[in-house]
Amino acid sequence: MTEFNELSRQFQISDLKEQRADLHFFHASKEHAVAVLTSLKEKYGYTHLVFFTVVDHLEKNEFHLTYMLHNYEKHHDMGVVVKIARENVQMESIHHLWPAAATYQQEIREMYGVEFPGSPGLYENFALEGWEDIPPMRRDFDTKEYSDKTYYPRPGRESHDPREYMKENLYPGEAETW
Amino acid sequence: MSLKDIIAPFSVWKRALEKPYTNRKPIETRPGADRYRGFHQNAIDQCIGCGTCEEICQNNAIDLVPLEGKTSSHGDSGLRPKIDYGRCCWCALCVDICPTGSLGMSNEYIWITTDPEDFRFIPGGESKPWDDRAEGYRRAEGYDLLEAERVEMPMLSFEESQKSFIEMVQGYSKEQAMEEADRCVACGICIATCPAHMDVPAYIEAIRNDDMGEGLKIVYNANPLPASCGRVCSHACEYVCAMKHKGEAISIRWLKRYIIDQIYLGDYKEILKSADESNGKKIAVIGSGPGGLSAAYYLRLLGYEITVFDANEKAGGMLRYGIPEYRLPYEQVDKDVEYIRQLGVTINQDLKIGVDRDFKSLYDEYDAIFFSTGLKDPYGLEIAGEDLPGVQSGLDILDEVTKGKTPDIGKSVVVVGGGNVAMDAARTSRRYGAEVTILYRRREVDMPADEEEIHESQGEGCKLVTQAIPLRVEKGDSTRLKLFFGMAEMVDQGEGQRPKPVLIEGSEEVIECDSVITAIGQEADYSFIPEEIGKNLVFNRGMVQINEFRQTGDSKIFAGGDIANRKRDAISAIADGHSAAKGIDIYLTNFKEK
Repeated sequence: MTEFNELSRQFQISDLKEQRADLHFFHASKEHAVAVLTSLKEKYGYTHLVFFTVVDHLEKNEFHLTYMLHNYEKHHDMGVVVKIARENVQMESIHHLWPAAATYQQEIREMYGVEFPGSPGLYENFALEGWEDIPPMRRDFDTKEYSDKTYYPRPGRESHDPREYMKENLYPGEAETW
Repeated sequence: MSLKDIIAPFSVWKRALEKPYTNRKPIETRPGADRYRGFHQNAIDQCIGCGTCEEICQNNAIDLVPLEGKTSSHGDSGLRPKIDYGRCCWCALCVDICPTGSLGMSNEYIWITTDPEDFRFIPGGESKPWDDRAEGYRRAEGYDLLEAERVEMPMLSFEESQKSFIEMVQGYSKEQAMEEADRCVACGICIATCPAHMDVPAYIEAIRNDDMGEGLKIVYNANPLPASCGRVCSHACEYVCAMKHKGEAISIRWLKRYIIDQIYLGDYKEILKSADESNGKKIAVIGSGPGGLSAAYYLRLLGYEITVFDANEKAGGMLRYGIPEYRLPYEQVDKDVEYIRQLGVTINQDLKIGVDRDFKSLYDEYDAIFFSTGLKDPYGLEIAGEDLPGVQSGLDILDEVTKGKTPDIGKSVVVVGGGNVAMDAARTSRRYGAEVTILYRRREVDMPADEEEIHESQGEGCKLVTQAIPLRVEKGDSTRLKLFFGMAEMVDQGEGQRPKPVLIEGSEEVIECDSVITAIGQEADYSFIPEEIGKNLVFNRGMVQINEFRQTGDSKIFAGGDIANRKRDAISAIADGHSAAKGIDIYLTNFKEK
């Protein structure tokens, strides 16, 4: 693929993958990512930022940022994946390339805790108000515990453990283990 | 101000007679999209109440509750999910994970009622208008949160396995065991079905946490012969496993084996609980099979002094003498036995009660007796010629092999029977190079042997002839024997009865062979119990009658295992031993006559 081959002479990019004829993904290093995005926009016609999102790879201790760009002339999508460490997580802002990116970055900061220094309105509330816990989309956020803590149980609810219930019904008093 | 500004407000009048854009009342409902996530649907007979939906729900919106008309049974808890729609966020994780696939969502999203309590209900259990709706969210094809297939067990190929007595199943590596353990949804439905009620999800969790010591403790809570059981258990648990509804059951038996294989016998005593201080009471255990050893173990833990009497050279009973080494290597039986011995249980070998020592003296000397002497006397075929040389019982062959002798079977063997002893005898014969034919009088589906035994025996080249009834044995011409048999047809015996094989008149076939090995079952020998004591015990069709504490008609005598339990497998005997230990303890603590 021309864009990838040309860019790879200048930047640290790798792992080109063709998802479909009109959709490719590749990885870019954290340091070169914004330069790569700038080139794609200015030089290769990927003028539209379709979306910008994050996946939490807790087991690898990494966030994978995905920038999805579109080229209107070629009708082609390009996904640029950037792996960054989960600790003190920070990424260069791209709001100077696409002003709308500021909103994505605001959301990502709130939901995942990724910082984008200089991004306008970064610390304004996006969807959560007065959130004090760890960012809720992080995989180590315990949704169930939060739910228990925050929403009171409806009176009259009770549940049964299948194993205990079956014991009561099928073998009461038998072979209890000591 | 321009003219336009003055006229503009009047321009709206041009729409005065058009149809308004606002919605009419009552609002016309629009159906949800085909894959819309609306109110749940649950195929209530397909659901087994495993509670995986409750477990995964991040909003605690699901409770498991009893439902009228549903009772607990093997493989079904009898509970069904009740959903609190005040908390449900319609994420559909419950639908995605449901092992049976019973749970789905309709595309209905509008439902109005004035009572908030109405928004808690049992989908499928309480009738709702959307119950039969075809549209709605279902788990997408190919999208699975659970792994349907078990991690493949490394095994010897059939070409290899039939050449030697090397253990066929080679055991999981750590990675494989952890991957397999990860498939378990920890519902615990298997616990009720395991005769010993082992806490399966707990020891599987120990594997996930890579905590073998914890695993060993959990296993020994209900089963003191796990090295053996981890190999040859009849694994009733796996037949009711929730994952079986999705694909293959968890390899529960082999995961148990994995735990035991990771720990040296020498380390057991550091991990497991030690015996209580001796309480001075003495118990005699007759028979060192799984029943006897299990009773001995649990009684020893409680501080009783245990003496086991066993007629064989080595302990283990049928585990050692009835199961070939390729299924259960002797050193694994040794591992189980040795730990029980280390706890301070005395095992007297080569000592036959009724011959070397009389039952009455045990009865007088000990505070209680547990006997689990098993079924040792094989049934005969009761046909002409069965006393010819070359006709022998499967148990005798297996016993000889365990004792290191080469059985005299010749080059061709016919095994009569369809149980595990028949399979073991057949496969053992293959290992001595014989051509093997298995005759069974019913259909393959009726065979009492484990599925994998049937499969493996055929894989190793044993030929299976079903619906075949032996008629007579005669001396052979080129071979030692000739076995004549007739074909049977299965005659329906009405509802709930298994069909009966009836000989087709006039059908007769013959196989030339060197040996006929009979394995059609065996019975108990109670001749060691003297009349004066035996008269208090109750026997029914060859089985000792016992109560839930495995106590016989004589309050001092307890029994278990194959002589008292219809399930006739090791794990049931182990459960009997455990229950008897509890019974003996209650009896000696509370009811002892002065």
